[in-house]
Amino acid sequence: MEPPEDKRTPLDEAEGIILRWDSTASEEARDKMIFDSDRNEVDRYLQAVDEIQRSLSSATINSNDERSSRSSNSDESSLNSTIQIAMARLEDEFRNILLSHTAPLETESISLGSDPSSSTHSHGQVDDHEDEGSVHDQGLNLNLNLSLKLAQQREERDEAEGEGGDSVADGASSSRSSYRSTSSIREIDLVPSDAIYDLRCIAERMIAAGYLRECIQVYGSVRKSAVDASFRRLGIEKLSIGDVQRLEWDQLEAKIRRWIHAAKVCVRVLFASEKKLCEQIFENLGTDIDDACFVETVKGPAIQLFNLFEAISISRRSPEKLFKILDLHDALMVLIPDIDIVFEAKTSESIRIQAAEILSRLAEAARGILSEFENAVLREPSRVPVPGGTIHPLTRYVMNYISLISDYKQTLIELIVSKPATGTRYGSDPTTPDMEFADELEGKTPLALHLIWVIVILQFNLDGKSKHYKDTSLAHLFMMNNVHYIVQKVKGSPELREMIGDDYLKKLTGKFRQAATNYQRATWVRVLYCLRDEGLHVSGSFSSGVSKSALRERFKSFNAMFEDVHRNQATWLVPDAQLREELRISISEKLLPAYRSFLGRFRAHIESGKHPENYIKYSVDDLETAVLDFFEGYPVSQHIRRRSSS
Amino acid sequence: MPATDNQGSFLNRISIRRNQVVSMDGNHEQELEDLELFQKHVADRFADLLSQSEDTLGDGLLSISWLRKLLDVFLCCEAEYKAILLLGRDPSQISKPPLDKLVPEFHDRVVKALDVCNAVSHAVETVRHYQKLAEIAVTALEQRPIGDGQVRRAKKALNSLMILLEEKEGSNHKLTERAWSFGRRSANATTSSSKDRATSASQFRSLSWSMSRGWSAAKQIQAMSSNLVAPRGGESSSPALPVYIMSTITVFVMWALVAAIPCQERNGLLTHLPVPKQLGWAHSIIALQEKIAEEWKRKKEKNRLAGLLEETQRIEKLGVSLIEFADSFQFPPDADRLEEVAVQVAELGETCKKMDEGLMPLQQQIREVFHRIVRSRTEVLDLLDQGGKVTAPIM
Repeated sequence: MEPPEDKRTPLDEAEGIILRWDSTASEEARDKMIFDSDRNEVDRYLQAVDEIQRSLSSATINSNDERSSRSSNSDESSLNSTIQIAMARLEDEFRNILLSHTAPLETESISLGSDPSSSTHSHGQVDDHEDEGSVHDQGLNLNLNLSLKLAQQREERDEAEGEGGDSVADGASSSRSSYRSTSSIREIDLVPSDAIYDLRCIAERMIAAGYLRECIQVYGSVRKSAVDASFRRLGIEKLSIGDVQRLEWDQLEAKIRRWIHAAKVCVRVLFASEKKLCEQIFENLGTDIDDACFVETVKGPAIQLFNLFEAISISRRSPEKLFKILDLHDALMVLIPDIDIVFEAKTSESIRIQAAEILSRLAEAARGILSEFENAVLREPSRVPVPGGTIHPLTRYVMNYISLISDYKQTLIELIVSKPATGTRYGSDPTTPDMEFADELEGKTPLALHLIWVIVILQFNLDGKSKHYKDTSLAHLFMMNNVHYIVQKVKGSPELREMIGDDYLKKLTGKFRQAATNYQRATWVRVLYCLRDEGLHVSGSFSSGVSKSALRERFKSFNAMFEDVHRNQATWLVPDAQLREELRISISEKLLPAYRSFLGRFRAHIESGKHPENYIKYSVDDLETAVLDFFEGYPVSQHIRRRSSS
Repeated sequence: MPATDNQGSFLNRISIRRNQVVSMDGNHEQELEDLELFQKHVADRFADLLSQSEDTLGDGLLSISWLRKLLDVFLCCEAEYKAILLLGRDPSQISKPPLDKLVPEFHDRVVKALDVCNAVSHAVETVRHYQKLAEIAVTALEQRPIGDGQVRRAKKALNSLMILLEEKEGSNHKLTERAWSFGRRSANATTSSSKDRATSASQFRSLSWSMSRGWSAAKQIQAMSSNLVAPRGGESSSPALPVYIMSTITVFVMWALVAAIPCQERNGLLTHLPVPKQLGWAHSIIALQEKIAEEWKRKKEKNRLAGLLEETQRIEKLGVSLIEFADSFQFPPDADRLEEVAVQVAELGETCKKMDEGLMPLQQQIREVFHRIVRSRTEVLDLLDQGGKVTAPIM
């Protein structure tokens, strides 16, 4: 069937335009881009494509209607050839427009509220002010900088929390930005609207001609490298699980901070904007084409990003990692609603699933680390006693650690759902302490039980350590100091105090008081024993009834013992000033009245003899002054000064 | 203060454990029986795979369906292995010889396997890219009547495909302009030059890598197999054997995946895995390994990097033939030749369909393997945690 004469001209014209831009045919066509030339030419070209397309579809209908003749077949072939030339051309044009708008995301201008690199605040309240920083125990593999770091983490966390309600305004530096107010998603126009219009014009025609696959291929390859460039700019690396395992924790910590920031930017800005771009170009051009293009572009990068999170969750569990893992967990959890929006399409289901899997894996890692931490506290093996019976580094570490845990209370209460595996499991195993869940612990969250359990095993371990002191008095003092420290730390943190509860706190207080009493008994019963009456009265003698020699021996041994105790215990330490004061007062209250009365009763017997100064070396005031030297941690060089007045 | 006169607590614990171990000796026979059964199951499962590998209808060795079966076998063996290793075993046994050395080695190995899983899963996208290009050719060549336009369209797609398939290991930038024979633009063109396209194609490759620069699948496999030593003498019936069997299976499965799917850096991929031939359960594994190695060597001579996946090879073979057809195409086409081509196009279409249906599930299954490995590792670590090594490093 011959086409009518009058219809021939526009078609011929259209073919002419397309062939003129056939880059295989002419030098000019090869060197210039249609969409770079004037608008009229663009319109002419697109109309020409439409014209060919129209004829082609009617030819197809005709050839279906009747047995196609050889000539219409040949016409159709020629049209097909023309449309192919046009499509190859449009594919190039499409690529070219896309390529000229692939500048990576200006991440500096996209502030999501907190910039991880600019945390310069300084508040270090987590730190121990009493910590001289010189306590270093070779048996402990403790990182004493940890508390500093932990403080810093807390800061960052505060910032991160403050981010929830941040103003949208600071991201609006670019005039091309537009936002959805319903979520934290902030789409940016990656490509200006006139270019989007052109891209849509081309996509429409490629899809109409059945060249959808080519279109997706070109789109995906260009946008994928754009996303990749943005990834590099955000500092997202390609790291294997093996790489992550080999990294030092310090390095990894810095990276994690960056990744959390990057993940937010990726999900809320980068991926969301890619999705919007797909919609702008492909929406309504066919079923789910926008989704297909979007998945093609971001699936690889998204999984690469999540794999980093996953690699951390798989790395070796160690206590210092807990807080960063919780940060990752929280960051991802906050992102999940946005991830669900950005990847809502069926085709991106696997990305949503993977994000959820990684979230639960991070939760599992956090649980694992907590139990690992409990084990570590239980088994911390250092045996070298800390000099002076002061606070053990382990105690500081553990208490700083659990007060940080209480800072993460909100997350951890949800993650920690089972009670601690307490000693009951091993029954008679003497290497684990018992903890009976008595009434006082009823109604506590599993997290609170875990914290109490940590304190129980810490004390258990400390008890073991105290056995390494040769002097039992010092062992008691050590326990007193450490349990007192535990109590102070708990009282110092409202969250911790609330979770531990006043009942258990009372128990702890009783415990360190008991240790103080034990100390006093162990040291002072012996000393005070010298000041007893028994054994001094000589039976049968009626003159005075006091044996001078026995009395002299008593004074001598009292002096010797007191000097010994004084010399020794001046080097011992009670770091807490109030506790130290209380303990001294308590000593004085027992020692001084006993000495005063002993002196009152027997002084005359000594002073009536020769060299009384050899036996009565100290006045009551001397002793009172001497007690002030106790627990300061300094050796006393001189002997106790004798009373200078008289 | 509680009485804590158990300073020898460590020794105490050991003796408690020892008693438990002694009491478990009654189960020793059971354990041997389980081990026997495990070996039999491993042998049977791989024998199945061996017989399926003979399939000539496209589901044979290293086809998508064969790989999926391979992963199924892995998952089954893994479940059984874990049961043997963990059920009824006292945790402290894992921290004593020979397991104290073997289990950490095994864990090193499986962490490497996790990276291989990720790399392969990522590389499946590359294979999907092959599929997409082949589909364009199928769409074009299926049209009737067939003319210059369709043929040129198919040729363009196939040329791009061949470039990807022929790309040599480590020579990402050696893209010839041949592929752009149609619609080619001189290099000094304004913006969209062939260079751009060449770069974007090579970028596609580098983007498809998911690991850090320098990460190599071949080295990874090498490292996994380097300390793989069969237990000898008394150890061969102990818990050392299941660890060895599972290690061998893991290495073999990862190796096969790497050979099939074009993942990051396969230069120098092993062609021989150190498995002693006398072990009954390993016969089929060895046979399969030899077949794959042979394929690999054959392919390596051509220096292709596309991978041994059956579907990829089929696409390549058909692609070459269809490009020949396109090169010599003249309108009107010769009817006999057209019929011949129609058969090839149908086969290509069939292959694409298999890929379309199989690649996603394959990817999911690789992910499942990943999950399983992580879970098992966690379980063993938890157990060790409870068993508690007194000498464990602290914080």
